[in-house]
Amino acid sequence: MATTVSTRPRPGAGRQRPAARRGPVSGSPWLWLMPLGTVLLLVLVYPVIEIVRLSFTDASLVSGEPYSVTADTYASLLRGTDFRHTLQVTFLFVLASVVFQLLLGLAIALLINGAEKRGLRGVVATRAVVLTAWAIPGVIIGVIWSLLYQETGSGVLNHGLSLLGFSGNTPFLSDPDNALVSVVVANIWRGTALSMILCYAGIKTVPEQVYEAARIDGASRLQTLFRVTLPMMLPILTMNLVLATVETFNSFDMVLSLTGGGPGTATQVLALDVYDQIFRQLNLGRGAAMAVVLMVINILVIGLYVRLIERQERQI
Amino acid sequence: MTRRTPIRPAPQAGRVRAGRRRSDAAYYAAMLLLVLVFAFPLVWVASLSLKTGSEVLQSPPSLLPDDPQWGNYAHVLQTTPVGRYLVNSLILVAASVSGALVLSIPAAYALSRFRARTRGRRTFSRAVLAAQLLSPLIIAVPVYRVFVTLHLINDYVGLVLVYIAISAPFLTWFLKNYLDTVPTELDEAGRVDGCSRLRALVLLVLPAAKPGIVSAAILAGVTTWSQFVLPFILVDAPELAPVSVGVVNLQSTSGEITTQYLAAGSMLAVAPVVVLFVVLQRHIVGALTAGAVKT
Repeated sequence: MATTVSTRPRPGAGRQRPAARRGPVSGSPWLWLMPLGTVLLLVLVYPVIEIVRLSFTDASLVSGEPYSVTADTYASLLRGTDFRHTLQVTFLFVLASVVFQLLLGLAIALLINGAEKRGLRGVVATRAVVLTAWAIPGVIIGVIWSLLYQETGSGVLNHGLSLLGFSGNTPFLSDPDNALVSVVVANIWRGTALSMILCYAGIKTVPEQVYEAARIDGASRLQTLFRVTLPMMLPILTMNLVLATVETFNSFDMVLSLTGGGPGTATQVLALDVYDQIFRQLNLGRGAAMAVVLMVINILVIGLYVRLIERQERQI
Repeated sequence: MTRRTPIRPAPQAGRVRAGRRRSDAAYYAAMLLLVLVFAFPLVWVASLSLKTGSEVLQSPPSLLPDDPQWGNYAHVLQTTPVGRYLVNSLILVAASVSGALVLSIPAAYALSRFRARTRGRRTFSRAVLAAQLLSPLIIAVPVYRVFVTLHLINDYVGLVLVYIAISAPFLTWFLKNYLDTVPTELDEAGRVDGCSRLRALVLLVLPAAKPGIVSAAILAGVTTWSQFVLPFILVDAPELAPVSVGVVNLQSTSGEITTQYLAAGSMLAVAPVVVLFVVLQRHIVGALTAGAVKT
C-alpha cells in the first residue's frame, strides 16, 4: 500500500544488510509471545469453541450441567418466524447505518481536508466536535438520543418538526416503523465519526504530486475525486466498510438504552436478541446458536474483506 | 468523456478572489452545519441538565434554562453513585490499559525484531483483525459461566483480564508497526554494551517508542471506557459498575419528572472523555490516522 508516512526509514535501509533484514535477533520469539498468546487462548479462543459447543445443546443459564446434545436449536431458529424477523431488522439496521456512515464520513472528510488546504479557521475544532461522538459510550448515546426523541411537545426534535410544519407529536420511538428509523439515525450519528477519520486518513495517503498531475492534465474537481482520490483510497474505504459493517452487526448497547428492542420487537437486532435469549430468558442453547450465526456473519464479512484486499494487492 | 483544455485563459485576478471568497463561505457554512449537527445532542442534554422539573416538560421547549439549576449536579452526585461509577471506570481503564501494554509490548517487540516470515506476519495481522472484530457478547457468555464457577463475578481481576485480551491484539499490532520505525541499531548498541535483550528493550527501545505507546494507550483507553456488554454481564454489584453500566441503571430508575437528573448524570459520565478528547485531539487524530494507514 502506498503511504505517505514519512517516519519510516525502514525499507531502504534494511535491504542493504540482508542479515539485518531478517531481524537482528535469532533464536525463538515464543517466550516473548507466550504471555499474550496464553491470555488470548483463554479469553478469546476458548469462548469461541465453547459457544459453538453450547449452541448444540439445550442448556439453560441457571440449571447448569445436565443437558442433552441436540441440533434442535438451529432447527427451531429456522422454523420459527421470530428469528427471521430479527435477521430482517438487523440487515435493515446494518445496511442503512453503514451506507450513510460511509457516505457522510467520506463527505465530511473531504470537506475538512478541503477547508484545511484553504487554510480556513476552525477546521481543528470542527474535526474535534465530529470526533467526540466516537468517544461517548454507546449506551450513553442511546440515553442522549432518547432525550432528543421525547415524543411530547417538549421534545426538542418534535419541536423542530413542528416549526417545519409537521406534527409536533411524532412517535419517534413508540411507533414500530419510526423506531427503526430513529435507531438508525442515532447510529449514523454515532458511527460517522470513525468513518470520517478513516476516510481522512485515506485522503492523506494520496500524495500531493498526484493532484498536481491531475491539475496539469486539466482534470475537473469531480474527475479528480472519482478518478484519483477515491481509487487511491480504496484500501482504506474497504477497511472502513468492513469495520462499520461488523461493528454495526455487533452493536447492541445503543439500541438497548434507546429502545430496548421495542416497541415489541421492532428494533430487536441480532446482538440484542442474543443477549435477551441468554440473560433474560436464560435459554443458553438457543442464544448460543444465535451468537454463532452472528459470528458466522462476521467471519463472512471479514473473509470477504481479506479476499478484496488480496485482489487489490495483486492489482497494485 | 470530453476533457477540458489544459490551458485556460487566465481570468482576472479580482474575479478569482471573489470566487474563492464565495467558496470559502460555502466551506464555512458546511462546517457550521456539521458542528451544529454533532454538538447539538450534547448541548441539548446540557441544557436539560440545568432545567427544573417543570421546565423539562414545558412545551415548546427552550434552549436556555431560565435559571440554570446547577444544584441538579449536586443532587445527582449526592443521591446516585455517579461519582463512584466514574472512579470505577477510571480504575478499570488504568488497570486494563497498563496490563494490555505489559503483554503487548514484548509481543510487538518479538514480531518486529525476531526473524519472521512475511506470511506469518500477514497471518498474524489478519488474526488480530479478526480478534478485534469478535463481538464481546460472544466472549461474555462462556466467560460468564467460567467466572461463576471461579467466583470471579464482581471481581475486577476477571473483568480486567477480559479487557486486556480484547485490547491486546490491536495494541500489539499497532505497537509492532511503531517499533518497525525504531532503528534496530538502538538495540544493537545496547547489546554491545552488555545489556540483556529485555534491558535493551526497556532502557533504549521503549523511550524511543514513547509517542507510539502513548497513542496506542489513548486508543485502547477510549474503547475500554466505552465497554458495556462485558461489565454489564460480568459485574452485577451496582457499586462496582463502570460509568456506562451506571448510566443505564440511572436511566431505569429515572422517570419523566427526573429527566433533568438523568441528563446531568449523562453529562457527568461523558465529561471526562470529552475533555480528554478535546485536549488530546491532535494526538488522537494522529494515532487513528497512523493506525488506519498501516493496516
